[in-house]
Order: sequence, then C-alpha cells, then structure tokens
Amino acid sequence: MSDFEDKHIDFVLKHYQEGRFDTLKAMNRFNEARGIARKPRRMILPWVSGIAAAAAAVVLCVLLFSDSYRQIQLVAGAELQEFVLPDGSEVTLAPGSRLTYRGKSPRKTQLEGKAFFEVARDEAVPFEITADGAFVRVLGTKFMVDAGLSVKEVYVTEGKVLFARSSDSDGVILTKDMQATLSQSDAVPVIAVEADVNSIAWQRGSFIFDGTPLKEVLETLSEHYNVSFVANDLDKQLSGEFHAEDLDLIISLIESALDVRIVMR
Amino acid sequence: MAHTDIHIDFDDLFRYNYRPLCLYALHYLQDIDLAEDMVQESYTALWEKLQEGAHVLNRKSYLYMMVRNRCLDHLRKKGIPTESLKPYDTYGVIDDDDAQERSQTEARLWTAIDSLPEKCREVFIMSKRDGMKYEEIADELGLSVNTVRNQISKALKVLKDGVHKLYMFFFA
Repeated sequence: MSDFEDKHIDFVLKHYQEGRFDTLKAMNRFNEARGIARKPRRMILPWVSGIAAAAAAVVLCVLLFSDSYRQIQLVAGAELQEFVLPDGSEVTLAPGSRLTYRGKSPRKTQLEGKAFFEVARDEAVPFEITADGAFVRVLGTKFMVDAGLSVKEVYVTEGKVLFARSSDSDGVILTKDMQATLSQSDAVPVIAVEADVNSIAWQRGSFIFDGTPLKEVLETLSEHYNVSFVANDLDKQLSGEFHAEDLDLIISLIESALDVRIVMR
Repeated sequence: MAHTDIHIDFDDLFRYNYRPLCLYALHYLQDIDLAEDMVQESYTALWEKLQEGAHVLNRKSYLYMMVRNRCLDHLRKKGIPTESLKPYDTYGVIDDDDAQERSQTEARLWTAIDSLPEKCREVFIMSKRDGMKYEEIADELGLSVNTVRNQISKALKVLKDGVHKLYMFFFA
C-alpha cells in the first residue's frame, strides 16, 4: 500500500482539477453551516515540548527494558474488555478469558477462552495464538478465536488466518467471513459451509454487518429483540458495527445510513 | 480498519477522511461537484446522529456506507438500471471494497499532484493523462525534450514520496 499503481494515477488524473476536494474549505463550510467557530490553534513553546519529548523517551526506555522478559497477562472479568497490545494490535476478551504473552514478544500469545483480535500489520513478524491443542497464525487482520474446551473455533472477518492443530501440522487458511472448527477428533480444522457473522456479534455485544441485505439485517435483529419489522426497501445493503444496547438507535442509524423507513410491529 | 474510532474527534474524522471519501464517491458518480455534495451531506447526517446521542462504533466505515448509499440513490433517481450501479475506474467496473481501499491511495495522489510546481504538473498531466509524446509537449510549451523528461521524472518522484510519506504519517 506504500506505493501506487497506474490504475490509481489514471483514475486520479482523469478527474483531477487543481485545488478541488479541498478539505479545509469543506471543513469551513461544514462548520459555518453548524455555527461552530474554528478552534484556536494551541501554542506549545519549543523548549516545553523539547523537555516533554525527552522525558517521554526516558520513560519509554525504562518500560521497554523492564518489560522485555516479563510475562504479561490480560484478563477480562465479568465483562468484555478491550486491550491494546504493545505492537498496536487490539484484543477484545470475552468475560473470563485470558491472554498471555512475554513482554519481548507481544505477537506470540496464549489464549484461554474467547477473544476477538484486530492485528496490527507487520509482515516481518507473524501474530500467533496458541491455545490448548490449537494454533493460529495471522496473515491478516480481524478474526475471532474461541478456544473452547472441546471445540476450537476461528472466525475471520477480515484478512487471512492460518488455523491448525499446532505450528508444524497441516492447517487451513481462512479468509473474510470464513469460519472453521477443530474438535478433538479432527487432525485438521473443518471449514464451515456457511459462516454465521452473528456468532461474534453476540459475543461482542454489537451487531456486525458487512454488505448484508436489509432483509437479513432485520431478521437478525428480530431474533435478538423478539420484534418484527417492515421496511420500504429490503434490498439495500448494510455494513458496519452497531451496539446491541439500544434498538431504537440501531434502527435510526440504519434508516439514516440507507435512507429507508423501518417500522417496528 | 480499527474496530472503533470513537476516540478520534470529529475535526480529525473530517480532516483525514474527507478527500478519500470524495475519491470513493467519484468512483460511483464520475463527477467532482456531486461527489463533494454527497460527502458533505454524509458528514452532516453523521454529525446530527451523534448530536442525538447515537453511538457509532466505527464512524469511518459508517461514513463510507452513508456516502455509498447516497451515491446509489442519486444514480437510481437518474434512472440508471440497478445492475449498473457499480463503482468504476478508467478500465471498467471495480468492486466496492476495492473502491474503498483505493480511495486512500488516490486521495494521497491527489494531494501530491496539488503540491507539484505548476509547470511540472502541467507537463505531467499532458504526458500521463493526455498521452502526449515528450516531443509534442516540448513543442507546445516551448521547452526542450530534456526538460520535459526531467519534469516528468521529478513529478513521479514527488508522487511516490508523497504517497509513501503520508502513508507513514497515517499508519506509522
């Protein structure tokens, strides 16, 4: 992604007009329409920021040094808990789950329980998760691992993931919207014919849709909230993530995103 | 894409995504003015939602979706048949995920082209967009072929650096 290709430059040049798509102008237009005055820029005196930077560097070094061999445990109590790992990866642990790693290698983790990962990209260092009798190597970004007692399950929402019994056994590669399970009798994980996105939506307390037709979205919401819906255009597609707390808000967000009317019955 | 971006303030959401969203809309609409309108409308609609207390976990992907649906509605109203409601590039139909991803790179390219010195940009556009030969450009602008060649390689370097530098800035 650090480079561009002919198709990019061709498209941009076809439409390019000097000074158009001006972000600042658009922001001003937006703010004026809303009556928001521009915030004055904060002034930081150079020597103040210089000292701050030096202090930050010292603290960082100390942390890096002392943490490098320590085992670190992230634990979720009664509720979902989100963590950011030192490499920038984000982990959401389901209640009662635990993720462990050594300070010097935060991309080699051990999981007990269930977690949703959003892995920071680093092609040189793969992100690995070991659970009792299962091994996952991440070649991409977003996925869920359920290291249940008898069945291990991996669900991928974005990118590519290798799922196997151990780091040196045969495995399967999962991509977007693929799900596989590994039970004690399997040597190799079995890919599910039809993955259910909402298996994670439930765990995360939010609904995740990705190009889902409104008809299916409403069916999912019906199941969750026990109400039924009618809408004026069921073919429109919804993508995004919605908190499961407030049905009225979800409905109003969907209406505004898709420009549809939804009525609860 | 991050799971949530609620910690980013609205100004930054605007600053970092406005141009990519415009390029994204452009893939659907092929019209700069319309693209800007759709993006502006989407920001306004999102702002209003947030003022009402709506909780949007990933506002960036929500914005992309709002822009897409506004583009599709516009095209539908113009009577474009449903099967043709697709994003396009100069070679033909592309898919929506691709359009979203490309919009980032293309926005940076747009910025980099804006930053070129005027003469350099002119030469570059004549060569790359209009497909003119170096000799033709040199003739038309009263420059030497060598100067034309130098300007084009300078432009390409600025574009490469620009795309790369901004990439580092946003993702490092």
